[in-house]
Amino acid sequence: MTGTPGEGRGRADRVYAPDFLTELFRNPLDPGYADAAARRRERAEPPSGWRHWSARSVALVVAVALGFLFAVAYRQTLEAEPGRSQARSGLVEQIRQRETDTDRLSVRADELRAEVARQRAAALGGSEAARLRNLEAGTGLGRVRGDGVVVRLADAPQKPDAVTGADVGPSRVIYSDLQGVANDLWAAGAEAIAINGQRLTATSTIRSAGQAILVDFRPVTGPYEVSAIGPGSMRDRYEDSRSALTMRKVAEDTGLSFGVREAEDLTLPAAPEPRLRYAQPSVSPSPSADRSVSPGPTGSRTSPSPSGGGR
Amino acid sequence: MIAVLALLAGVVLGVWLDPTVPAALQPYLPIAVVAALDAVFGGVRAKLDRIFDDKQFVVSFISNVLVAALIVYLGDQLGVGGQLSTGVVVVLGVRIFGNVAAIRRHLFRA
Repeated sequence: MTGTPGEGRGRADRVYAPDFLTELFRNPLDPGYADAAARRRERAEPPSGWRHWSARSVALVVAVALGFLFAVAYRQTLEAEPGRSQARSGLVEQIRQRETDTDRLSVRADELRAEVARQRAAALGGSEAARLRNLEAGTGLGRVRGDGVVVRLADAPQKPDAVTGADVGPSRVIYSDLQGVANDLWAAGAEAIAINGQRLTATSTIRSAGQAILVDFRPVTGPYEVSAIGPGSMRDRYEDSRSALTMRKVAEDTGLSFGVREAEDLTLPAAPEPRLRYAQPSVSPSPSADRSVSPGPTGSRTSPSPSGGGR
Repeated sequence: MIAVLALLAGVVLGVWLDPTVPAALQPYLPIAVVAALDAVFGGVRAKLDRIFDDKQFVVSFISNVLVAALIVYLGDQLGVGGQLSTGVVVVLGVRIFGNVAAIRRHLFRA
């Protein structure tokens, strides 16, 4: 990569310089070698001993350096590869670890919640405790069981375009489908709804973040099962609702799957405690004051408001 | 022959000492290896052409590595990243190919 002056000294007949790439392809050897050889020929005498040997030894040192470089680069490449996969598996390991932590903690939270409920029942006495349990069941803070319907939605099977290989059409369940289903289930008389085991409360959200659907900021993945507990007439009323009709049509058109079935003895889990940011629990005169938000003076009404859930 | 032995000695030294490359120098390592390969094949071909010159070999190796590293550094600083080093790899790769082809002609007459 030394410069090209003197290039072609041995070939004086060439008067024009070809462009760089052509020259590169035609004569890949450093032109310096030809120059040095020509100079040696001109001098026509062997170089002095000391000069010759010093140059030779420097060249040997460079050869050692070359070998050293190759070995180092080889080892470096070998070391970098496991490092990359180690980092990846380390991350996977951390995710697993956190997931098991979360599971353990949520089991513990359930235990504690049950313990609190038991203690409270013992402390409060029959009617107050029953009223509290009803309120909790209605607001989604208590586990509930009963008969109801399960609405099942699933993404259409991957059907790539024959030519481009790209996905065609909106064949995925989107968050507004789930919102519509949940709202119409409330409207059809549901008293408790859960999406893939995530209980909906009055403050629950169903939103999308990129490709994922978040229910109360926790991702849910398809197939989506919206379980609702309610009166026996709920299924018929739901089948006539707007979202059911829309989803049936969508399912026909796009291959999405949508089904409504009645289910007996559903158990819906409790929702996590709501995080109140603005409301303060007010201490009511009755001894049943607790940390959960009070639905208001009409406490005997246990079914949540129909407009509450989906948004 | 002595040069080959020196090369092997360098390899043994590298394996034996097992130096750790500082993180700042790591991006330059692959391109330096390509530049060094170019110098090696150039030297071998010159040897076979009977025009090998020690000084030329040393200078070409050092300047190759330095210029290649400089280009990578420049590419990083300018934000064009890998593209400039792609240029280096293409140019040096072409030279390596040409020199290896010449060596092959020398050795096998084909």
